[in-house]
Amino acid sequence: MNIITALARMLIFPGLLFAIPAAWFFLWVERKAVALMQGRIGPPFMQPFYDFIKLLGKDPPHRPGIAGMLMRVWPLIAVASSAGAVGLLPVLPASGGFEGDLILLLALLEVPSMCIIAAGFSSGSIFGEIGSAREAVLSVSYNIVFLLAILSIAASQHTFSLEALALLPATPLRWLGVLALLVCLPAKLHLNPFSLPNAEQEIYSGPITEYAGPELAMWELSHGLEWVASVGLVATLAAPYIAVWWIAALIFVALSFAIVLLLSVVASATARLQIDTTVRFYWQCTLIFAVLAVASALFMRFRA
Amino acid sequence: MNILTMLFKNLMGGSRTLRFPASPEVTKGYRGLVHIDPALCTGCAMCKFRCSANAIVIKPGKGEFVWSYDPGQCTYCGRCLEGCKTNALTQDCECPPIYLTEGELRVSYTITRKPPAPKAPKAEPAAAGQSESAIAAGGAQ
Repeated sequence: MNIITALARMLIFPGLLFAIPAAWFFLWVERKAVALMQGRIGPPFMQPFYDFIKLLGKDPPHRPGIAGMLMRVWPLIAVASSAGAVGLLPVLPASGGFEGDLILLLALLEVPSMCIIAAGFSSGSIFGEIGSAREAVLSVSYNIVFLLAILSIAASQHTFSLEALALLPATPLRWLGVLALLVCLPAKLHLNPFSLPNAEQEIYSGPITEYAGPELAMWELSHGLEWVASVGLVATLAAPYIAVWWIAALIFVALSFAIVLLLSVVASATARLQIDTTVRFYWQCTLIFAVLAVASALFMRFRA
Repeated sequence: MNILTMLFKNLMGGSRTLRFPASPEVTKGYRGLVHIDPALCTGCAMCKFRCSANAIVIKPGKGEFVWSYDPGQCTYCGRCLEGCKTNALTQDCECPPIYLTEGELRVSYTITRKPPAPKAPKAEPAAAGQSESAIAAGGAQ
């Protein structure tokens, strides 16, 4: 992969030029789908973009000192890491994708969550601190399943390389891993029934309670990019390898759209669970599933 | 009902959100805008006294008073109607209209203060005693 291809991937597709409109689009699809399933009209197509522009136009609150500086920095780090994660997605492996691996992608995907935790504690708000504590507990719960699912996929395909994974045909174990990743997505994206950290009715959006203006716009953008990166990762792993680049891109977008719709249905059909129920769910049910997938993958590998 | 069936029905049934200027149908007894009949109002100011939102204001004048009502401040609780002895106040049974300018629905009436009603002459105790005795006598018959 030469420098031009790398730059094109990072800046154009699936990088920033694609990722930012896609982030707004995914946010709109989720809001619209939930609204339609609740019998409401929902926001117009451009609403996430308008929200972003409106927030950018507002004056940021004055926050003196180190805590204020940190509060300004967290959303920027979150946006940068989410955008980096999107840029790493091996959407078009045939055209020379990024030669990175899943570990880097996972690390970048985890940074926004850590930024949210830090932002909540930096804000000094009781709602922010409760939200951060919830996010931390939730993160510990679902990330084990998330990592084990990734491990099972990597072990079943004998590689951590994103390119190789995108090129290889899917195995039954890979499908199991993809299913485990799908179970983790509502928690990662703070959707019902795992929307504890940003529970609007209880803790007023939790860690981002104290944010306003451009900083809040950055959080919204980061959230949208997280949508693209997380959904894109599952779509990439689920999509079959196709040499024709535009068909591959089309399938990626269609699969991503289908996953967003699926998550919206789950979010509409469920209510917010308590933190102990959520933790129990991930530790008791899904963890067993993920451990089984990893054990099977390792067994198959040693047998081969 | 199964939640998924409900979601599917909502999805297929379309939105229940009403577009402006449509407004939802209201039930009987719905409390809307307050209206006054100046001919019946005596200016007792009980409505103003009972209005906790300060939507009704009465400014006293010489031989008259100004009764003002601001729907923008009204909570449509209906306590003014309950306190109105002469039934001068009524309330619409429909949603208040949507307005775009502040104070657009504000109304104000200058009402002439009515002279107090003449007091009914008191009945003489002697006559009352007579009538009572007459009733008692009738009852005995």
